[in-house]
Amino acid sequence: MIEELKRGLTTRSPEDTEAAGRALAGELPPDITLALSGPLGTGKTTFVRGLARGWGIRETVISPTFQLYAVYDGDRRLVHFDAYRLESPEAADDLLIEDFLEPPYTLVVEWPEKVAPWLPEPCFQLLFGITGEHRHIILLNEEMP
Amino acid sequence: MTILGIESSCDESALALFDPNRGVLGQWISSQVALHREYGGVVPDLASREHLKNFPALLDLMEAECETLDYDVIAVTLGPGLAGCLAMGTALARSLSLATGVPVIGVNHLRAHAFSPFIPLHEGEPDRFPERFRELLPHLGLLVSGGNTLLFRIGEDRRPLWLGGTVDDAAGEALDKGAKLLGLPYPGGPEIERRARAGDPARFAFPRAFSGDRGALKFSFSGLKTSLRYRLADMAPEEIAACRDDLCSGYQEAVVAALAGKVAAALDRYPCASIGLSGGVANNGRLCDAMRALAARRQLPLRISRPEHSGDNAAMIAFAAHCDPDGTIPDTDDGFRVAPAWEPFSR
Repeated sequence: MIEELKRGLTTRSPEDTEAAGRALAGELPPDITLALSGPLGTGKTTFVRGLARGWGIRETVISPTFQLYAVYDGDRRLVHFDAYRLESPEAADDLLIEDFLEPPYTLVVEWPEKVAPWLPEPCFQLLFGITGEHRHIILLNEEMP
Repeated sequence: MTILGIESSCDESALALFDPNRGVLGQWISSQVALHREYGGVVPDLASREHLKNFPALLDLMEAECETLDYDVIAVTLGPGLAGCLAMGTALARSLSLATGVPVIGVNHLRAHAFSPFIPLHEGEPDRFPERFRELLPHLGLLVSGGNTLLFRIGEDRRPLWLGGTVDDAAGEALDKGAKLLGLPYPGGPEIERRARAGDPARFAFPRAFSGDRGALKFSFSGLKTSLRYRLADMAPEEIAACRDDLCSGYQEAVVAALAGKVAAALDRYPCASIGLSGGVANNGRLCDAMRALAARRQLPLRISRPEHSGDNAAMIAFAAHCDPDGTIPDTDDGFRVAPAWEPFSR
């Protein structure tokens, strides 16, 4: 899936997008931060739901926009973070996540641009876009630009 | 037996005093725009340290406004919420407890929302509250805010049970993000509502997830957001500008219909003696109208939480400590910790 995503993967339904996340979960090194970039409604949270399923997490994965982050325990501990409401990297620091969470965990961040300097390295970037109705594209960069 | 309520689960720092014999004596909140924030908009600063700055100021206000400041219990939000923010509220509760010798109990924020529509019922006649409350049970509640969309039922034993929730976005978030896509200013939810009043709800139809499956007590608003995106992609900017009110109206209608439809479906399955609406989106007039219409059709009393009890507030925390003791945790030396993921209801 990493290779497919590097070339740009087209998904045609939320189920497709979730399946892509599930497939990536099995290939992702444990110490990677995932930065999910893309406009509203392109499938970022749906993709994270797939990752969660891939790591054996069965809970409902809801949008963390309001709560800012959610923690799920499965084969891996997933921290699903959403910087949509944050205005600066300092605001991310102020959440004191490290004080309340013991590693190891895999951090997956939506709206990473808002907190770019805060993102732990190494970091893969996934770009989400829409090319037409029911045609979404997901592209993987192995480095945050 | 006055209760001091303390709330700091997210953006808002709040204090309130509740006297079971008199009702809410007062509430002090860090922001006057609390109602709008509940729709899930951007806020200036979510940092825990803001609570640290706010609480001393709120304490001063409270002391200045109360002739005799006396309380017997401190009720503080333990969760769910942001760990760093919750820790500020519990630290304040414990400090006040050390200074005064008054005990502390922990309250579940979402359960407090669930019971908030009954605050006015208590206020009318505190003495008769237990009996009047009992007449409204079992109760079917809908809790909608920027971060939550929950259906629950309070049984005759006063215990709330989880019936269903969203599988992706919260209803308030759907309104806020829809507003963003439509190019509307913050706060998005109230702006959609304002424009929707002038629009035609039938001109643009948006999907209503799970509406065909009446048995499924769950919500989904993520697909609605994407469908708005598709719709806007097909329209020229001038066309969007000309139809904005109609788009708002159709979009809001999809959210409201999904919410009210599932309340109706839940009533079919779990007969109840009353219906309730709480959380920040309880301030949406169109949703209130839909709930009123449903209540009238089913001939059931409807309880909607008041604006000052809808957003994050401490009055509901103090009230829940009185009205929902099963939902509280006493402060013991070993185990009084913030509970960022505390489930509100038994499943």
